[in-house]
Amino acid sequence: MKKRFSVFMLVVLFLGIVNAAGLSGKITIWCWDPNFNVAIMEEAAARYTKINPNAQIEIVSMAKEDVEQKLNTILASGVKKGLPEIVLIEDYNAKKYLESYPGAFADLTKHFNYDEFAPYKLEFMTIKDKVYGVPFDSGVAGWFYRRDYFEQAGIDPSKLDNITMDEYIELGKIVKEKTGKYMQAGDPYDGGLMRTLLQCAGTWYFDEKGQPNFVNNPAMVEAVNVYKKMADSGISKEVTGWNEWVAAFNGGEVASVITGVWIIGSIKAEPSQSGKWGVLPVPRLNVQGAVNASNLGGSSWYVLQNSENRDLAIDFLKEIYAKDVDFYQKILIDRGAIGTWLPAQKGEAYVAPDPFFGNQKIYVDFAKWMEMIPPVDYGIYTYEADAAIMGIMPDVYSGKLSVVEALKRAEEQCKNLIGL
Amino acid sequence: MANGFEKSRNKWGWVFISLSIIFIGLFIFYPLIYSLYLSFFSTKGAMKNFVGFGNYKRLFQDNYFILSVKNILVILVIQVPIMLFLALIFAFLLNDPKLKFKGVFRTALFLPAVSSLIAYSVVFKMMFSSEGLINNMLMKMHIIKEPIRWLLDPFWSKVTLIIAMTWRWTGYNMMLYLAGLQNIPQEIYEAAEIDGAGKVAQFFKITIPLLKPIILFTTILSTIGTLQLFDEPMMLAAGVTTGSSVGPGNSLLTPSVYIYNVSFKYVPNFGYASAISYMIVIISVILSLIQFKVAGEEK
Repeated sequence: MKKRFSVFMLVVLFLGIVNAAGLSGKITIWCWDPNFNVAIMEEAAARYTKINPNAQIEIVSMAKEDVEQKLNTILASGVKKGLPEIVLIEDYNAKKYLESYPGAFADLTKHFNYDEFAPYKLEFMTIKDKVYGVPFDSGVAGWFYRRDYFEQAGIDPSKLDNITMDEYIELGKIVKEKTGKYMQAGDPYDGGLMRTLLQCAGTWYFDEKGQPNFVNNPAMVEAVNVYKKMADSGISKEVTGWNEWVAAFNGGEVASVITGVWIIGSIKAEPSQSGKWGVLPVPRLNVQGAVNASNLGGSSWYVLQNSENRDLAIDFLKEIYAKDVDFYQKILIDRGAIGTWLPAQKGEAYVAPDPFFGNQKIYVDFAKWMEMIPPVDYGIYTYEADAAIMGIMPDVYSGKLSVVEALKRAEEQCKNLIGL
Repeated sequence: MANGFEKSRNKWGWVFISLSIIFIGLFIFYPLIYSLYLSFFSTKGAMKNFVGFGNYKRLFQDNYFILSVKNILVILVIQVPIMLFLALIFAFLLNDPKLKFKGVFRTALFLPAVSSLIAYSVVFKMMFSSEGLINNMLMKMHIIKEPIRWLLDPFWSKVTLIIAMTWRWTGYNMMLYLAGLQNIPQEIYEAAEIDGAGKVAQFFKITIPLLKPIILFTTILSTIGTLQLFDEPMMLAAGVTTGSSVGPGNSLLTPSVYIYNVSFKYVPNFGYASAISYMIVIISVILSLIQFKVAGEEK
């Protein structure tokens, strides 16, 4: 008994010493996209191990689906082992994880000064006044356009920073007529544009109680109208899948792209188009209260509550993602990643003109638009709603269902998927 | 003495099979039983609610589940007969002892079956895009005037899926038939030929009746395979950024894809997903029984 006690004391003493000497241990991080998130985390890891040589950081690169599958299965099984310290979660999914696995993620409220982050990023990672994530990249949306095609069509971009989607479609017709190019490319059954449009109007698929709100949501009615008008006008080149979509603008087939800022890497993948691109604020939805700024995608870092070196992981995120201005300049230049930690946007990389975009200071614009993005609570059923509305679109395009009728049907489908 | 030997032999027997018993138990029986148990709960991530048969009741009111079963039945009714009939014809042709370059043809037909599911789905997606190989060819040959909206139209997307699956699995079934044909003595064909039976008559009067057990086997195999269809629709339906619906108007939604979505894409409900899996098992059993009955195997 005595011996056991002394061993216990020794362990306590030992732990005390280790703690006093600063945090050490291994941080495991799960994320996807080797050219973006993984590479950025590697940069962050290199910087942190310089500050704290006792830390060891392992970054596990997986497909996004695999991260989600592993996280879901481990958390649902209730096992405490095998969890990473830090995991990347897409913003649309954040609340779903936080609510489905209460207690699984660390409450970071007192560790970070959240006033320094873009406000729209906090909406979905906050539950009952507790913030659970470290906001990472922004999906601030832009209207990327080809200067040469617009000029050819006789369109003056300087007058286009405050237009609606309807005007956009009309412009598309002019572009098509004058240049023979499509205005844009898109999958007619993809909900990305829908989400961009809803957020610019400051609404989402759900009401304040989290119930599906399709029919009585003017923004949603208008957004479906936009989809329909777009299909009817023939200004959008129909594509299926990411590769065809990227090929459409890399191949010079389209005059513009409306999407998140993360697309810059793919646009720049075609060096022959350097100088020919420009960026405008996204066209807004023609409803009350809509602004010319929105968001598509983006993700954030979360710390697992039951992971072994939780405190070390928090310290790591704090030191790099909420302190290192230079880090944010580096990832902007190298990866085109716009962080959502606002102090970083005063850095030099943000104010530099970009020759690829005709020497436009695009990141100054993006930073400005980012602060205008209406905060929206994504709730936990975004993908259910997305599937419901997009599943009904063939009948909208063919004219079999009116927009209101289709929204009514989709709302029922959404409730059905949620299991209400 | 003999008894002792018998005993030790038994002991070693158990030792040898214990490993596989442990693994089968762990990776097959345990998940089977646990998922049955799970199917009586409605889960939301880590939270579990006992609902009894609630999940099974929900299935019958779930439009998406019903749609997924409908989709799969359409594919089953159209794709499986086409594929099996093609496989039979190929097998019959390849079984001809006078045929030259048999090995080449056999390999060519079987090769799709060993190609990676994902790789071939991706290639098919490219070939069947609006400006893909297939549309270009058909336009050049003046068979069509407008490009066919293969993966953008609910009807054509199913056609694409059926073509892709037929390409992938015909060779596999052909191999099974070829093996079966080895057991049919060549003499029967020779006798039939002497009696004046043409190739067509031989095919319908000899090959098909004698291959019946194997045809039944492949039908059941294909039925179960179709019911569990996952990779192809998942790949063909992958959208620009997220793939909001599974194919246009969810035309490629299969029960397996739905199970995946319920577990991982939507709010994770493993309980309901388990209930769907068990429903698929029940449907497979019913369809197999019907096929047994139709083929008259039980007599």
